[in-house]
Amino acid sequence: MKAIIAATIIGVIMMFASILSNNKSGIVSLATVLFFFLFGINIWEVYESINATGVAAPAYLNNMMSLDSFAIWFSMLMSGCALLYILLLGKEIAKVGKHVGEYFALIAFIMVGIYLLAGYSNMLMLFIGIEILSIPQYILAGSDKRNLKSTEASLKYFLMGSFSTGILLMGIAMLYGATGSFDIINFRMLQTDALNPLALSGILFLIIGLGFKVSAAPMHMWTPDVYDGSPTPFTAFMSTIVKAGVFVAFLRLFHASFGNLTNHWMMIVAVITATTLFIGNITAVFQQSVKRMLAYSSIAQAGFMLFAILSVNATAWQGIVIYAVAYSVATIGMFAVLIKLKDYTYDGFNGLAKKEPALAFFTTIFLMSLAGIPLTGGFMAKYFVLLAAVQQGQVMWLVIFALIMAAVSVYYYFKVIIAMYFKTGEAELNHEVTGYDKLMLGITCLLVILIGLMPQLLLNL
Amino acid sequence: MNTLMLAVEQSTPINYLPVVLQLLVAIGFVIFMVGVTHLLGPKRKTADKLINFESGIPQVGNARQPMAIKYFLVAILFVLFDVEVIFFYPYAINFKELGTEGFMAVLMFVAFFLCGFIYIIKKGALEWEE
Repeated sequence: MKAIIAATIIGVIMMFASILSNNKSGIVSLATVLFFFLFGINIWEVYESINATGVAAPAYLNNMMSLDSFAIWFSMLMSGCALLYILLLGKEIAKVGKHVGEYFALIAFIMVGIYLLAGYSNMLMLFIGIEILSIPQYILAGSDKRNLKSTEASLKYFLMGSFSTGILLMGIAMLYGATGSFDIINFRMLQTDALNPLALSGILFLIIGLGFKVSAAPMHMWTPDVYDGSPTPFTAFMSTIVKAGVFVAFLRLFHASFGNLTNHWMMIVAVITATTLFIGNITAVFQQSVKRMLAYSSIAQAGFMLFAILSVNATAWQGIVIYAVAYSVATIGMFAVLIKLKDYTYDGFNGLAKKEPALAFFTTIFLMSLAGIPLTGGFMAKYFVLLAAVQQGQVMWLVIFALIMAAVSVYYYFKVIIAMYFKTGEAELNHEVTGYDKLMLGITCLLVILIGLMPQLLLNL
Repeated sequence: MNTLMLAVEQSTPINYLPVVLQLLVAIGFVIFMVGVTHLLGPKRKTADKLINFESGIPQVGNARQPMAIKYFLVAILFVLFDVEVIFFYPYAINFKELGTEGFMAVLMFVAFFLCGFIYIIKKGALEWEE
């Protein structure tokens, strides 16, 4: 609860900082300090929750929020990722447009949404969390106001996003009609054998609404255009931390409420997972622009995260945490490299290894993690979510299919590595890579490898 | 718990029959009325009748004219602040029941409300001359 309050106040402070000062680098420094502070408050909360073992999870806001140890731990990890994001890309955020303070304020408000989604126990809180998370994203997508593609991304995202929120609300209303309650615990009363059509259609609507927010196929149509058109620093945020936050909300609802109804929704989610993996990976192969490839890759990675929702067991909860962090860290690093380049196509990477060996090396590690090569975080993440599915045991065909798709993904990730190391060319940079950039990218790299070697560090359950 | 089970029991598909009937009656009524007026009404088409209706005033020019963005900004802000006032009505009714805690909650709400208001004034959203 402290983190939610702190993030809100940080948002307001950033809004007022932009009125009082025009000094862009000053505002970036202030935001960095405040996000350090936010991370500190999260750690404090984790410390408190460790000391309070055995006590029931504290409930807030008339039992609408239940911040159990998982919610607090996940919030802390996401704050850490957001801090890393600001340390890596803070300077680039300042270059997007005039309203630097507001960008950071909106990011802080998105963090509030993520904390709400991590620990909600009432459908109203789910809805409010999704809205707090989405509305700032519509603005951030269109923050490069002079750019037509950015405006297009914002409008598309807004229209499609509002529509999907409508579907989500409809699902919530149907479940209320079936059970007479908004509390996710009360949905356990739904019986498998006597499930009424209202509850069934409510669950279906929720799958569609939440599937849209995590860009699962066939609800993925908005993703490439929005991620490609938005300013690159904000794409990095939207495709990583925000997506992970929504996934945890998805997981909590389907495990805590509909865990005993799996024979009703498992097949639907399995088909969605297969479609997401197939469309994400196959379409990514044909992309010319690395930024657009990363957009499709984020769809493909969502397919893997959907495995955690499919397999209703404890490993799935561990898998989603490791996947969220490993994927976020590697993707944020990849975007931090991409933003340094003038040309976002594959040819833009030609000969980068000769010009900036350190940058090329870091990119290789990030891409290997995204592809799931052993010793990187991505491998452990894929291992845990697939292990959860194997333990559950009903979707073996999907696990094999996912392994084939992971092999396909190696092709398009390694195309970038081949361009950097084996093709001659003059990769043009936007500006010099400073020592600070290299240090931060190096730390990110170390984190990726550390997660690969010791994934249990991320588990506190 | 009991009411919950009751709600589950009651909501079988057959219980929604009245809703379907209501829907059919509504759709049928609309189709019937439109059809009847179409068939029975006299048809006299004149040029005056076919132009767009603009509150009885003769049509002037084209509607697609550029309009200052300020207009939309002020309109949006008006809606925002107007809607926020709605939260005060339920509070006013439950003023005594909610007690000190409710008062503090409303104070906090007003404080955030003021933050937003100061922000838009300082950002110059309400300045017409620029």
